[in-house]
Amino acid sequence: MRRVFRGSGVLRASALIAITCTSLASLTSCKRETRRLRESPPSATPGGAVRVSSLQPGVAQDTTHARNLYEGNAYAVSEGQRLFNWYNCSGCHANGGGGMGPPLIDDEWIYGAGPEQIYTTIVQGRPNGMPSFAGKVPAQQVWQLVAYVRSLSGLNPASTRSARTEHMMYYPGSQALPMETSPKQAFRPPASEMP
Amino acid sequence: MLLLQTLRGAPNQSVLESSGPLADRVESLWWFAFATASIVYLATMGGLWWAAARARRRERQGEELPPDGERRMTRGVTIAVSATVVILLVFLITDLTVGRTLDPVPRKHPITVELTGKQWWWDVQYADTSAQGRVQTANEIHIPVGQPVLFLLNASDVIHSMWVPNLAGKKDLIPGYTQSMWFQADTAGDYRAQCAEFCGLQHAKMALHVIAEPQAKYEKWIDEQRKPAHTPTDSVADRGREVFLTGQCAMCHSITGTSAASHNGPDLTHLASRRTIAAGTLPNTRGALAGWIVDPQQVKPGTHMPPNQLAPQDLDALLTYLQSLK
Amino acid sequence: MARCRPDVSRSCVWALTSAKRMCGVLTLGVALIMAQACTREQTPERAHDPAVPAAPAMAGPRASVALDAEDGQWTMPAKSYSAARFSQLGEITADNVKSLRPAWSFSTSVLRGHEEPPIVVNNTMYVLTPYPNILYALDLTQPGAPKKWQYEPKPESAAQGVACCDVVNRGPSFADGKIVFNTLDNNVVAVDAATGNALWKTKVGDINTGETMTMAPLVVKGKVLVGNSGGEMGVRGWLKALDLASGKLLWTAYSTGPDSEVKIGSRFKAFYPKDRGKDLGVKSWPGEQWKIGGGTVWGWLSYDPQLNLVYYGTANPGPWNPDQRPGDNKWTSSLMARDPDTGDAVWAFQMSPHDLHDYDGVNESILLDVPWKGQTRKALLHPDRNGYVYLMDRSTGEVLSANPFVHITTSRQVNLANGSLEYVSEKEPEIGKVVRDICPASPGGKDWQPSSFSPRTGLVYIPHQNLCEDEEGLEANYIAGTPYVGMNVRMYEGPGGHRGELTAWDPIAARPAWKLTEKYPVWSGTLVTAGDVVFYGTMDGWFKAVDARNGKPLWQYRTGSGIIGQPVTYRGPDGKQYVAVMAGVGGWAGAIVAGNLDPRDSTAALGFAAAMKDLPSDTQKGGTLYVFALP
Repeated sequence: MRRVFRGSGVLRASALIAITCTSLASLTSCKRETRRLRESPPSATPGGAVRVSSLQPGVAQDTTHARNLYEGNAYAVSEGQRLFNWYNCSGCHANGGGGMGPPLIDDEWIYGAGPEQIYTTIVQGRPNGMPSFAGKVPAQQVWQLVAYVRSLSGLNPASTRSARTEHMMYYPGSQALPMETSPKQAFRPPASEMP
Repeated sequence: MLLLQTLRGAPNQSVLESSGPLADRVESLWWFAFATASIVYLATMGGLWWAAARARRRERQGEELPPDGERRMTRGVTIAVSATVVILLVFLITDLTVGRTLDPVPRKHPITVELTGKQWWWDVQYADTSAQGRVQTANEIHIPVGQPVLFLLNASDVIHSMWVPNLAGKKDLIPGYTQSMWFQADTAGDYRAQCAEFCGLQHAKMALHVIAEPQAKYEKWIDEQRKPAHTPTDSVADRGREVFLTGQCAMCHSITGTSAASHNGPDLTHLASRRTIAAGTLPNTRGALAGWIVDPQQVKPGTHMPPNQLAPQDLDALLTYLQSLK
Repeated sequence: MARCRPDVSRSCVWALTSAKRMCGVLTLGVALIMAQACTREQTPERAHDPAVPAAPAMAGPRASVALDAEDGQWTMPAKSYSAARFSQLGEITADNVKSLRPAWSFSTSVLRGHEEPPIVVNNTMYVLTPYPNILYALDLTQPGAPKKWQYEPKPESAAQGVACCDVVNRGPSFADGKIVFNTLDNNVVAVDAATGNALWKTKVGDINTGETMTMAPLVVKGKVLVGNSGGEMGVRGWLKALDLASGKLLWTAYSTGPDSEVKIGSRFKAFYPKDRGKDLGVKSWPGEQWKIGGGTVWGWLSYDPQLNLVYYGTANPGPWNPDQRPGDNKWTSSLMARDPDTGDAVWAFQMSPHDLHDYDGVNESILLDVPWKGQTRKALLHPDRNGYVYLMDRSTGEVLSANPFVHITTSRQVNLANGSLEYVSEKEPEIGKVVRDICPASPGGKDWQPSSFSPRTGLVYIPHQNLCEDEEGLEANYIAGTPYVGMNVRMYEGPGGHRGELTAWDPIAARPAWKLTEKYPVWSGTLVTAGDVVFYGTMDGWFKAVDARNGKPLWQYRTGSGIIGQPVTYRGPDGKQYVAVMAGVGGWAGAIVAGNLDPRDSTAALGFAAAMKDLPSDTQKGGTLYVFALP
């Protein structure tokens, strides 16, 4: 009897752990789904220095990237996806493959891939064609756009990425792109010559 | 009767206050179903009460069950089942018949309205035979009394459903698939329509006002709507116009007669002529407009309209400008 | 064959098979008769085998063109006002072209799409680059053509952000000792051809509304005619005339809006009733959308000095999504004839009313004199993006013939009785709906790349593409200075599997005499010479010469980058004939290379990247001028 009791104690403990884990897991998934509708927006400008160059004279200062509050939030990423079309980002960057503007689904970032770098790129604009959206899009939505843009090249957690909206697949109903190999990259000129 | 009175609900959004030929048929179908169901309900309850009372009596008097009880029970069940089937068949046939009479669009329908459901508002376009005669507005439809109006329904994000209980039945708005419906209002009035298909957070606050008015009044309204927006003459409204065009507003809204022509949000060319804002959520007053512009998430959490941080004098100018868009 | 009317299809079959077997006058006669019988041309893949010498059009009556006396120069991109791109230099012939070799080359230091031609005046060659629009003057009298001077207009770099299809420029023009050209940021510049000093610079547009300028100006009677680009940005199209001496703006003719602004007045007389009426530029649009309705003028102009008329086409209406602009959307996708002195419109013809697929009307109009039903007609030949070659009377705007030169699924035919294009309703794009197999694709049967005409063969050499596409309509939002398109597009090769073609078009028979196929769209212009050689370039970098009579390949040379430029020929100070072309891939078709686009997204570059996935493995960016001569 005692042994059984001891056994059930183990059982009880493992059950407790299981429940705790499950609830913890569900807590994180709740965070993934949280819809922050009325929070005060993240600070209008990213704190600290936003560097577009990794080169620093003298001893380099710490350059940790700012954290985007929305990075791990599926709702914010999907809102960013909607805004990407609403504010005509897709007009130049297509569905990430680029056109008048550079592609966003590849692994090249002319002005940096950090959330604060993308934020400043959107807000300040860039000299070779990227318009400045300062005063046109509220900070909260810019951060949602940042989360979505980073998700295009897989820089945010997989669990929060949106499905591709692009319906122009090769075969009706197919969700796969028939690209066996990754595209060949031509030489890219320096950033000053790029949009 | 009290119960029925509650059932009627608000008089401008009720199936039992029909104001047009289609809604009349829907209402009579409702009354027919209600009456039949009531009779069936009363008969069933009566039968049950009678059976219970008889069983009680037999038990009290110590009566035996009749020897042919089994057979009589079979007969009773058969009759009940047949009656149910017949009643259901009658329901089906009446329902289909009413449905069929609602469907065909009258050959003469002088007005065509293209209605697009969006999260969470209604985009309204009056399609004229000429391109120039088209009118774009939102969340408010004006129709002349006694004229059939054709609606072409579409949606741009998820499925919505158009329902003006006083005038017609429901019809879904499906993205990428144009459906049509029509109705006619026989009495003037302001009828409230409601999205009748769950479409997200603010489904409940997605209303549409259908305003039926005499032909002359309607003509006057549509002529007004065809004009480009009023250009402000006073300096405050002019400043408001500048705030609108240079700031966030023009990224989503359109005002004919200005450079703002984005279709993310409702068209505001004649905003001040509408009765409500935010798809029937708030009355169109200066205070409500101010609250809505500054913090729309307070009014309609989840709405796609972002908060606008404006300097007090800019907000004041913007409100003056918007209220001048008659 | 399926494209002929059923009742005449048998005779069509017979005509074509006989055409394959027989040569000479008989074939031509039969072909002429049959071309009248068939309202539609045979499908391109059934065109004559290029190996078989086609009926030489020279045998019968043939079209001719007004030419200036050959001075061995090349002073404007189209060579002459009639836009024939025909040179009377005959040193390089079909027989000796095989020994053509590079004489010298010149790097432009720019790596974007080079659509421009070099121009040659007074033993000086002028080379204009894409953005940043540097103008180089090269001294042809010195060995290796050293640089005389260079002029940098320093356009605003932000202009690159509103240039829809690469930051190209289609060339400078020479007139009265001045080189005139447009910069991407909407400045028209006149530079002293001798010294390289800027004489005047006039700003005519605003990049904040999405306007850019990429077209080559045409100088007519002391007036510089220029137009804007930006049909994908909700720009309102216009043609402006500037005074060549001072740069002062003389008149502006808009493509949309009230008649007073379109300059439609008492002299205007459209041939077809569909193009008549008051203020159609307003009435054929909903609300005030004509203000952002496109109809830009970014293509070619030609000029008839006798009639004193300038001809040009207007671009697509904006946005691409047709749901958002019910109506005919005049005057977009139209041909206009104007008096260059006043800007007054004399006639107009809308090729694609309420355009559904971005079929701009900006392609060149070659001014031909055509024997037509017993009399000579002053005509213009216009291969349009909608897939038809229009032959029109250039004094009235009457359509003489309009037959397809590519595979077409979007329309049935051009009705010659009323000039209307008969659309196929199933191919109409709609918001939220994917429509497949739309041919020709948005770049059209043929895009900007100019054709040439040889009076010796009577044929027009049309460089073009063979592409189809899928489309999905989206709601377009007009935000000034950002794209206004509203369409997901994905392009792919048309029937036959090849993406480019060179078609030799017989304007009298209104059918192809022969066709060559190319792997990639032929995005370069063509040049034809009195030596009966046609020059053109391919996007994988081959510069080719073919026989103008039958399309037989004669010579080719591999350049450092894909060719999308316009070949020219001139007589050097040493008396030899030279052929020059820019190599530098880009443009809409080459944006995948010039802009490093990612074709995993098949909608990249408005869908063009999907059709050009393999281009990056066949060529790379470049910016070099190549000059060839016989040894």
